[in-house]
Amino acid sequence: MRDMNRVIRFLAYTLELLVLFMLQETPGLLPHIYGVRPVLLFPAAVAIALFEEELPAMAFGIVGGLFCDFGLGCALGFHGVVLAVLCFFISLQSRAFLQVNLMTALLTGLWSLALITGAQWFFLYYFTYSLPEYAFMHHYLPKYFYTLLFLPLLYFLNKGLYQAVRAQDR
Amino acid sequence: MKDFFKGSSLKVLIIAVVVLLGLAIYTATAGGSIVAGLLGFVSAPMQGIATDVTGSVTEFFDLESYSKEELLDLVDRLQRERSALAQQLVDYEEKKRENEQLKVQLRIAQLQPENEMRSASVIGRDPNDVFSGFSIDKGSLAGVSAGDPVITEQGLVGVVSQVYATSSMVTCLLSEDLQVAAMSIDREESGVVSSNIMTASSGLLRMGYLSSETGLKEGDIITTSGAGGSFPPNLIIGQVQSVEKSENDISKYAVIKPYEDLAHVQDVQVIVSFPGKGEETPALPEEGDPAEEDVE
Repeated sequence: MRDMNRVIRFLAYTLELLVLFMLQETPGLLPHIYGVRPVLLFPAAVAIALFEEELPAMAFGIVGGLFCDFGLGCALGFHGVVLAVLCFFISLQSRAFLQVNLMTALLTGLWSLALITGAQWFFLYYFTYSLPEYAFMHHYLPKYFYTLLFLPLLYFLNKGLYQAVRAQDR
Repeated sequence: MKDFFKGSSLKVLIIAVVVLLGLAIYTATAGGSIVAGLLGFVSAPMQGIATDVTGSVTEFFDLESYSKEELLDLVDRLQRERSALAQQLVDYEEKKRENEQLKVQLRIAQLQPENEMRSASVIGRDPNDVFSGFSIDKGSLAGVSAGDPVITEQGLVGVVSQVYATSSMVTCLLSEDLQVAAMSIDREESGVVSSNIMTASSGLLRMGYLSSETGLKEGDIITTSGAGGSFPPNLIIGQVQSVEKSENDISKYAVIKPYEDLAHVQDVQVIVSFPGKGEETPALPEEGDPAEEDVE
């Protein structure tokens, strides 16, 4: 029964990531703010990692990251690696040091999304294109804050999902 | 935490990172992979549906263009017609869209009958793409291949950069990755149209490598020159908004305003074949005119 619940939960996470990928890619659905749109898969992967053990957290980080790579058309694996490592350590941190609540989730989101966005800017933009400072201020920074807005929503969504399916174990 | 370094979790993480890095290096060098193809095959139809639904919902909530009476009439009429037209409505939007695309294709084809085109719809725009790249619902099964120019009735909008079976990624004309050999049909001057993050955020382009005595003026129309064989000649790019002095040397550059809103394109045509495709035709040699490269 316990394994069945885990399978159901993991299927729900996969479906969640797929739906969020569709939503973030759909033109005209999410409004532009300062010329940017949010990346919903980042806060979703972080929220899942807060509740799951290291290896499932890493696995869903990889899934979310591969979706991001595919959507952007960049080297398949870049976001996969970044999100895999981050989600692994977020899971470890939340199980060893933190009590998971909205405040700690926001704090985790603050630093982890900053790392992901910073990695994007550094590895995908800085070495390839001109005017990196302008790109940072006018694209990556607004995108970071816009993406951060979705963290509470996805935190509560995944918390509800986790508690609903875990409760049946007991 | 002590068990962390002894347990198998860290080993699994390291293996996953190594595999993903290998995948990243492979796709970066080979330019594609089975995984990307599979993701494209799975996601393209769903992206298409999501885009259609969003378009319908946006249209539904756009109440400003209707008066109250018009809306009431519309609701009444739709209710009356609903039962009779239920089956036809299933295909209606799709047929209508296809019809519009074909009309556009016909108009462009009449202007340039030598080009072979495929109609396509934009099904995705990635928020991580700084330069407004997008994906379309036609892939290799429809004859699309990497490097094919993508246009609308208003002119050139980009180039196909990656092709999957049922979808393709398009690099927008606003991208710094793209350079297009261009010319002014009014002045017979040539240059290279490109962009950077600053001009792209304003939806503008930059035509560089103009001589300091350039005769380009505001309002001049800029088209592709066809040099390099990557684009057919005479595709409209935009019109000159201003001519500025280059920051680095004595040459000048023109700021080009595309006729098409490149960041919000919805329906496009992919030119899958045109005379001279891939043939290296030498650019017209002019003094101070190094426009010899076409793309990337």
